[in-house]
Amino acid sequence: MLRMEIALFLVIAFIACMYFSAERKRTQLNRIFSVLLITVLVHLIFDGITVYTVARLDTVPELLNEIAHRLFIGTLVLIVYLFYKYISVLVAEESGRHRYLDHAANIFLVLAEIGVAVLPVHYAVTPLGNYSDGIQVAVCYASVTFYLLMCAVLLVFNWKQLQRKERLAVGVALIIQCSVSLLQSLNPTWLISGAGITLMTLSFYLTLENPDILRAELTEQKMSMKYLKSQVNPHFLYNTLDTIRIQAQLNGDKEVSDLLMRLVDFFRHSVKVNMPMVALDDEMELLEAYMDLMCYRYPELKCEYDIDPELGGVMVPNFILQPIVENSLLHGLKNKGYRGEVNIIARKSAEHDDKMEILIVDTGSGFAEGKKEEIDSMLRTYARHEADMDGSSIGVLNVQKRIKLLCGRDCGLNYTENPDGGVAAHLLLPLKEETR
Amino acid sequence: MRKLRVLLVDDEIMIREGFKKLFDWETHGCTVAGEAADGMEALAKIDSLNPDIVIMDINIPIMNGLKVIKMSRIKHPDTAFIIVSGYDDFSYCREALRLKITDYILKPVNYEEFGTCIDNLKISMYMENVSQEPEEQEERIINSITRFIQEHLAEEMSLSVLSEEFHMNPQYISQLFKNEIGVGFLAYLTSIRMEKAKKLLLSTSLSIGEVAEQSGYGDYRVFTKVFKKSEGITPSQYRRDFLGRE
Repeated sequence: MLRMEIALFLVIAFIACMYFSAERKRTQLNRIFSVLLITVLVHLIFDGITVYTVARLDTVPELLNEIAHRLFIGTLVLIVYLFYKYISVLVAEESGRHRYLDHAANIFLVLAEIGVAVLPVHYAVTPLGNYSDGIQVAVCYASVTFYLLMCAVLLVFNWKQLQRKERLAVGVALIIQCSVSLLQSLNPTWLISGAGITLMTLSFYLTLENPDILRAELTEQKMSMKYLKSQVNPHFLYNTLDTIRIQAQLNGDKEVSDLLMRLVDFFRHSVKVNMPMVALDDEMELLEAYMDLMCYRYPELKCEYDIDPELGGVMVPNFILQPIVENSLLHGLKNKGYRGEVNIIARKSAEHDDKMEILIVDTGSGFAEGKKEEIDSMLRTYARHEADMDGSSIGVLNVQKRIKLLCGRDCGLNYTENPDGGVAAHLLLPLKEETR
Repeated sequence: MRKLRVLLVDDEIMIREGFKKLFDWETHGCTVAGEAADGMEALAKIDSLNPDIVIMDINIPIMNGLKVIKMSRIKHPDTAFIIVSGYDDFSYCREALRLKITDYILKPVNYEEFGTCIDNLKISMYMENVSQEPEEQEERIINSITRFIQEHLAEEMSLSVLSEEFHMNPQYISQLFKNEIGVGFLAYLTSIRMEKAKKLLLSTSLSIGEVAEQSGYGDYRVFTKVFKKSEGITPSQYRRDFLGRE
């Protein structure tokens, strides 16, 4: 039996290491769970000690045996109390109800701990093995029953307010603890309370207190904060732009009103940036709005599209074309005074049945000396570069990263040089429509 | 043709002014009969003016546009409602479809595209009239012309083709369209072709190229452009939106 206690101790110690080393939010729940983890560790130590001493009643001094025993039972009561406390706080957070039962639980804890500390310990000696019984152990069973009952009440009365995973965690923990306690009381020589406690802690750790989940929640919170900060209400923005557009047209300025129309289009499509994948048609609309505006600013800039209409519904990562085209303009055509052409071609891939390719071909100045090798190597080793590196290639790198992440390693972006000047960006993307 | 009377409903004065002054109601055979800035006013104006067409914003004060439509539908079953909304939200669209609205267009409103919407409305009104006419009556010329167009949609079609077929002056045929249906020949042809294309997109699995051909467009690029201009979305988006979500 001692071996099982050691194994359980190692499991919980490992979990505690993982838990305390991980970055996490510090809520009341996390604090309670931390205390619970430490208490469980202490409990398992004394569990191990008593398992050893109770089998050797004649050789181990009685006082030593008794102290270990009282600590073992005392921590057990504390654990079920903490278990209750955790559920109580969880339920209060979800339902917003006041924690009425806590008072009773606190008083009961004090009484039970006093009982555990002062009531006489009695040992039963049987051929199957020795165990403790008598009034002190009865107090322990009573407190376990009391707290489990309270937990069950909380769970049942707040079933609807709890999230699925919370119900699961609490429910599983309750069932484990109930059945282990029942088995232990029916077969006192089994000495399996430690296993119950460990499994219960595990079920909480795996569902509610998993550092990975907590970290994900933390990042998500940070991200959404960032997102909120970076955004003026887009509806306000494009409603106002639209009002200006109408006023311009009322004033007889059709050109300004057309430009504003395109700008509104551009904003409306870029507001959808929170969707990871969009249909190629949507992506093209954003690009066309952008190109129309650029072409107006630079009248000698031309843009041609050749999009296979069958590909309109293919899902592509959001916002991948505009950064590439912008790159073509800023690094290729700008050097020629924005005189030239950008051709955008989307077609089924000739080599792969399940892929399509998008070509963005410009008639710009082409790569500077050595620049192509630099970009090639950056795109090849995209994973090693930080997304927030300096300078001009950030957009292109970002596109490469997102394609690889969302579409798989066999897709991606690469550049070639055109025979008659300028560069071509090749995007290889999966030929997959949205599945509903 | 009788002029169609229009009620404009939007809480923003600039949007109403834009509609009133920037869209050429005259050539589309319409006249703006009134305006309303909130739901209550709209409800009252619909009752007092009994307009043929209501241009309706959804997000307006006091009572939202969909509710206004719902409440006035019973008393005014023939009124055409065109929703103009800044919410490109499909849930609104779905509710609007249930109210049997004529069209749903998104802000910012492109006034040229808005014209197509009015033309389509007129064509559907004309078609309704034709289908209600008793059969034994001698067929009017315009009806036989439109029937001919319907039956030869995939072929080359123009005023001169019609003039040869019906032995009439092209200018006369063109005038006939304006007088009888209230829209130009080209607008009519495009609208009918788009209807055919939409039907094909939803009921067959033909490729976009084949749909283009059967609706009378040799070049799918031209077809996609025209379709986008008339429907606001590309043919493949259209197919996806309607087949995917219903």
